[in-house]
Amino acid sequence: MFKKNFKISFLFIAIISLSSCEDVVQIDLDKGSPLIVIDAFINNLREDQVIKITSNSDYFSTSNPTGLSGASVILSDLTSNKDYTFNYTTDGKYVYALGVNDTIAKTNHNYKLTISLNGATYIANTTQKRPCGIDSISVILNDGSFGFGPPQDPNQPKKYLCVLFAKDKVDNETDFYWIKTYRNDTLFNSPGDLNVNVDGTGGEVEVASTDSVEFTAPSTLLGFKDYYQNDICRVEVNSITRQTYNFFVQAQAQINNGGLFATTPENVRTNFSSPKDKTKAVGWFSISSVATKSVQIK
Amino acid sequence: MNKIVSLICIMFLGLNSYSQNKFTISGYVKDAKNGEALVGVTIYKKGSQIGTSSNEYGFYSLTLPSSTDTVIFSYIGYKNYSLAIDNSTKKSFNVELAEEGKDLEEVVISSEREDANVKSMEMSVAKLDIKQINKIPALLGEVDIVRAIQLLPGVTTAGEGASGFNVRGGNVDQNLILLDEAPVYNSSHLFGFFSVFNPDAVKDVKLIKGGIPAQYGGRVSSILDIRMKEGNSKKLAVNGGIGTIFSRLSIEAPIIKDKMSFIIAGRRSYIDALVKPFVKSSNPLKNTSFYFYDLTAKLNYKINDRNTLFASGYFGRDVFGASIFKFNWGNGTGTVRWNHIYNSKLFMNVTAFYSNYDYLLQFSSNDGNQSFKWTSNVINYSIKPDFTYYLNSKNTIRFGAQVLMYDFLPYKTDITFNGGATSNVKAEKRYGIESSVYVGNEQKLHPRFSVEYGLRLSNYNFIGKGTAYTFRDTIPNTALPLESSKSYKNGENIKTYTIPEPRFSANYTINQKSSIKASYNRMAQYLQLISNTAASTPLDVYTLATNNTKPLIADQGSIGYFRNFFDNNLETSVELYYKYMQNQLDYVDNANLFINPQVESELLQGLGRAYGAEFYIKKTKGKVNGWISYTLSRTERLVRGISNDEWFFSRYDRTHCLNTSVNYDITKRWNISVNFVYLTGTPGTFPNTKIQVQGYNIPYNTDGIRNNYRITPYHRLDMGATFAFKKNETRRYKQFIVLSVYNVYNRRNAFSIYFRSNEQNQNQTEAVRFSVIGSIVPAITYNFNF
Repeated sequence: MFKKNFKISFLFIAIISLSSCEDVVQIDLDKGSPLIVIDAFINNLREDQVIKITSNSDYFSTSNPTGLSGASVILSDLTSNKDYTFNYTTDGKYVYALGVNDTIAKTNHNYKLTISLNGATYIANTTQKRPCGIDSISVILNDGSFGFGPPQDPNQPKKYLCVLFAKDKVDNETDFYWIKTYRNDTLFNSPGDLNVNVDGTGGEVEVASTDSVEFTAPSTLLGFKDYYQNDICRVEVNSITRQTYNFFVQAQAQINNGGLFATTPENVRTNFSSPKDKTKAVGWFSISSVATKSVQIK
Repeated sequence: MNKIVSLICIMFLGLNSYSQNKFTISGYVKDAKNGEALVGVTIYKKGSQIGTSSNEYGFYSLTLPSSTDTVIFSYIGYKNYSLAIDNSTKKSFNVELAEEGKDLEEVVISSEREDANVKSMEMSVAKLDIKQINKIPALLGEVDIVRAIQLLPGVTTAGEGASGFNVRGGNVDQNLILLDEAPVYNSSHLFGFFSVFNPDAVKDVKLIKGGIPAQYGGRVSSILDIRMKEGNSKKLAVNGGIGTIFSRLSIEAPIIKDKMSFIIAGRRSYIDALVKPFVKSSNPLKNTSFYFYDLTAKLNYKINDRNTLFASGYFGRDVFGASIFKFNWGNGTGTVRWNHIYNSKLFMNVTAFYSNYDYLLQFSSNDGNQSFKWTSNVINYSIKPDFTYYLNSKNTIRFGAQVLMYDFLPYKTDITFNGGATSNVKAEKRYGIESSVYVGNEQKLHPRFSVEYGLRLSNYNFIGKGTAYTFRDTIPNTALPLESSKSYKNGENIKTYTIPEPRFSANYTINQKSSIKASYNRMAQYLQLISNTAASTPLDVYTLATNNTKPLIADQGSIGYFRNFFDNNLETSVELYYKYMQNQLDYVDNANLFINPQVESELLQGLGRAYGAEFYIKKTKGKVNGWISYTLSRTERLVRGISNDEWFFSRYDRTHCLNTSVNYDITKRWNISVNFVYLTGTPGTFPNTKIQVQGYNIPYNTDGIRNNYRITPYHRLDMGATFAFKKNETRRYKQFIVLSVYNVYNRRNAFSIYFRSNEQNQNQTEAVRFSVIGSIVPAITYNFNF
């Protein structure tokens, strides 16, 4: 639970202690060289699986990145020796439509993703991790007693918080999770909503001894988001590899890296290998087991 | 190494020849008003070149050619004292100097002999008298030693609000900050806004940037030697102030007149009380506590003419807290010193000290069912005998030794989970012993040529109890995989490093007004701060040199031209330096530096180089006084796996640094002062593109060069005015009002520029200027003393 709270504490201190201020400024940046960006997050849910291949964009560009077509995208299940081909649709999206009895993602299987584009082949490997168990999502009235947000105005609609109750397996294996939260099918996807944890707690604090039965705050608070009556809160807990967890932690640090205690900016790692003299591929390949639950606020 | 030792032996052997049939006097020099030891008083045989100066305890020893002579004691701002020696057997003379009446209110910038700038061995040294620091216009009206230091040539910071300071391209952890000889690990309150030193308890401050004498060791870039007042040994004195941000009070008094006295000084901030009205009642921060305090005390006891004892201590803490979190940190130091005079030529000081830095960070849920507590500490114990042997008027030999014990607790966590399960994880403590011996001689080879040479030999043992890890090599800039680990018993040696540290300085006096000085020193450092943030945080821990992490070594050479003008009223100097550092810490990408038992695997070590030219003009006397300093410098690093394996600018590299501090004593009651600072913007790593993964726009730099851009220059003007209330001649009570305006023209200086996705529209990525103090800061302080 500490990693995220750690940031919160500094946020608090920054608010109180410094007469600091921030403003958006215009600066000129150099143009970077081209990259191939592969966004390949596959899961075991029964829905179409999508891999996105785009080019990088100017840092201050506000448009969506340009999709790259013409790639061959093959997902190989190395454990059961089976290949799945993803087909191009639009905007850089390559889709595998699941058949009725089709499953492409299986726990503990090893996978390889092979992408060929413009004469270059990019390869990444990963493993699908075991899922966790979700008990329930409990809904609590956010009346300010929780410590976040002001007391409710009685003339306004009542606000609720959703709290996840999930269980991590207690053994010597460390589990890594990525929790995605939806309100009425809209994913909370701002940088602050990125919610990853280790063994259900926020940080890797000497692995074995923090292996906990129950997930702890702040991961369980589902982003401190307000829900109103009739809203549906849905949670997907993705079991991910240590490498994928590290990728998210690193990306999160880069997306909003300000203040007195900003870390040195760095380029996020990729698990794709690129041929030496070709355009470099960046991005990430992950396959996760998903545990999901939803609740309607009544 | 052997060559150096034999060279030094030869030089010492040649010393004895001219020490026969001479007469040596010695004693202490003190201020007649309050009994404080006077440091750097010039003591010379009338009408000759034979002379010496008093040391940091006010002790002097002077060898005269005959036993009937007149000796002059001279100190700026004080009346000269003439001592006639009339062939008696008496050799001990304790002298008290009285202040000159006429310039009582006038600031004396340097309390040294008038031509010390040119004549002394010291180069790359800046001394600040507390009287002078008091006149510098200060942030929120609070006089601050570390902020004053930052106005000197060769000293920079990573930015406003960053704790510590950087000397000649050295990191913040490369400064040995000594408070009465005990090291202080975190010199800041409130991150970098205020230093932990209470100016009311400080006597003088000396910063040594180069030509570091052999008696100092342990950090590679500078020594900041802060000496506390001894406490008025004549009468009760009280100093105090009520300021915008905190209040101060100090009391000093004799316990036994002229024999035993004490000083006790405290400060407490009240920002929390000031902030409260501005925080909405609904805000969870409403119940925030947010303050710092410190307490400084010293007792001295002059047992007899030969023995004096000092005991001093410091304790300070910063405290933050709200309903769900607690965060506090602080230093504590304790020093006991014994001055002993064996005979008129041999002076000894033995220091024993204890220093502790610790912090606590705690979160708990509102219902208290879940909590997380994190603590860490650094403890030092040391004993350090230092001897000064005043062989004759041409040679002063210093020798001594030090044993320093390091006791680190990198972290300890206590976690309570929902449902009552708990987890307590305590990292293994880390232990190290640094022992060193040194000898050095300051020798006048010729009336116009003096040298100081010495050698410090430091030996470091990384010892058990503990586990030593061995890591496999891997591709650069990724955490090293563990290969094996081995447990060691209590006190068992794990790894030894022995580093000879030669020191040398020379002064060639061209004439009464000018001289050329040169110096070389090698320094070793056996612990480094682990910090990969722009400003170091109170949570950063130190790491000792281990079997994996090598000690930091720096070699520095400097050369300077010193010249005084207008009857020593204007001191000028130009110094060039080059510093080369080995084994400086850096970090792998996405490093996990906190609560990681194998943190060493995340550390990289690389080279550093710093070079520059420092220009300094100081007017020491008169109604208008102050200084202008300009530094042109470069600081770079080279680390395998970072920035394409090429040299890159360090985070605190600033090409131009201009600092001006001018003080004008309009009348005896009115004084105004002005500072102007211009600094080149610090470098930053800016992206040149972005990549989108899972809807997140991640900044990316395809060139992979670190610190490839610079933020806008930093400049600032501060003004201050001090008004002394009319003094009632029959009373001792004095009152002052200090008005200060920081950042007069309201410039929004950038601390950094960073990049983020707009919270509302993720695709809108923007550059953000972050300013720590983005506006004008006026303040008023009321000070009194009696």
